[in-house]
Amino acid sequence: MGEIIHPFLLYAGIAVGGIGVAASLPRRRVSPQLLGGLLGAIGLGMVLLGFTLRAADRTPDQMPSIYFYVFALIALGAGLRVITNRRPVYAALYFILTILASAGMYILLSATFMAFALIIVYAGAILITYLFVIMLATQAPSEEETDSLTPYDAEAREPFFAAATGFALLAVLSTMVVSGVRGLPRDGIATPPANELASLPRRVERALRAAGTIEPEEQLVIGSSGLALVDAQARTARVGIPADGSFTSIRDVGLPEDLAVRNVESLAFDFLNRHPGTIEIAGVILLMAMLGAVVLSRRQVELDEELKRQQARPLGSEEMA
Amino acid sequence: MSELVLLAQSGFPAPMGGLTLAHYLFVSAAMFVLGVIGFLTRRNLIIMFLCTEMMFQAAGLALIAFSRFWLNQTGQTFVIFVITIAAAEAALALALVVLLFRKRESLSADEWSEMSG
Repeated sequence: MGEIIHPFLLYAGIAVGGIGVAASLPRRRVSPQLLGGLLGAIGLGMVLLGFTLRAADRTPDQMPSIYFYVFALIALGAGLRVITNRRPVYAALYFILTILASAGMYILLSATFMAFALIIVYAGAILITYLFVIMLATQAPSEEETDSLTPYDAEAREPFFAAATGFALLAVLSTMVVSGVRGLPRDGIATPPANELASLPRRVERALRAAGTIEPEEQLVIGSSGLALVDAQARTARVGIPADGSFTSIRDVGLPEDLAVRNVESLAFDFLNRHPGTIEIAGVILLMAMLGAVVLSRRQVELDEELKRQQARPLGSEEMA
Repeated sequence: MSELVLLAQSGFPAPMGGLTLAHYLFVSAAMFVLGVIGFLTRRNLIIMFLCTEMMFQAAGLALIAFSRFWLNQTGQTFVIFVITIAAAEAALALALVVLLFRKRESLSADEWSEMSG
């Protein structure tokens, strides 16, 4: 454990963060949210800086990435506001902030497609549904008190026990991260990267033409398996001049330095080539959820004719007069 | 020394600005725990479901970090599933919330205990 972070720093940071979260949960009396947020930020910062200092011992030449700390602070700070804000609308808006900061971390992890999918699907669709439901399912404020809170929003249930439980869980999880689990297999987790450039002959050819490596009449040789003969390890491609069904003057050329598989392309290969059933399964899950939601929320509002007439009368009364 | 020690303390394969896998895993764990605490303490059903979304989000962040660590896209493919499940869960849970609100005019989680059938 000492190689990743000093244990005292880890547990002290977690404890300070736990006290901060427990202090800022909503309560009948005043709850010191600012103080709690500060304590939480200090605890989190202690742990992350502890990781960074130890990492800097091993790789002293790398500058620390400031963006990660900004995104982590925004994500967790907004997450704290989600669980401590008394008003559901603001909680949902802060959750959008958490999503945006997570998308920033996805981009730092070079998962660009998932970052934008996350913003579109989560911040754009799911959270808007939440906002709609919050606005549908909230009592309209009465005339005399426009700023009233419902009792179940104003008070958290067992804030200290819940925070203690949660941060005990965090301590165990981070202990497992920094000190390891025995008995895990050493090998066989990582799979070799697929040779995706072989499936993208047009892009390879365009890059080769742009670099001036091949002559105008030369083309990539397509092998019997339907894939281009591109060696991603050695970064070479086999080109030749097409002549009635076969190739003549075949030679190997080096690939340009900047030719790389983009995130969207490699994700698409993994998604549709190696796991072809996933998109259908995801579609079935979404269809089931949609059917379930329709069935659940479809309920006729029972109004008898007399009630309808009574409610219609105030509207039509002006015309009568 | 077991394998996960090496895994968490080693940096990412390509330059990542001095960050290690442990950074992302800790942020993911902290976000998950915030979701757990919110789910346990808040009594408003909508906020409780928001907290489950936050737990999904933490799982997705861990998956993306592992995917980057192993330079393997399967983690990202799995995150598509996480988002799908989150969307399905949001649709069903919010339908239930609207149903409960029509019956009880309240969003308190305690109302569920009286709602049977």
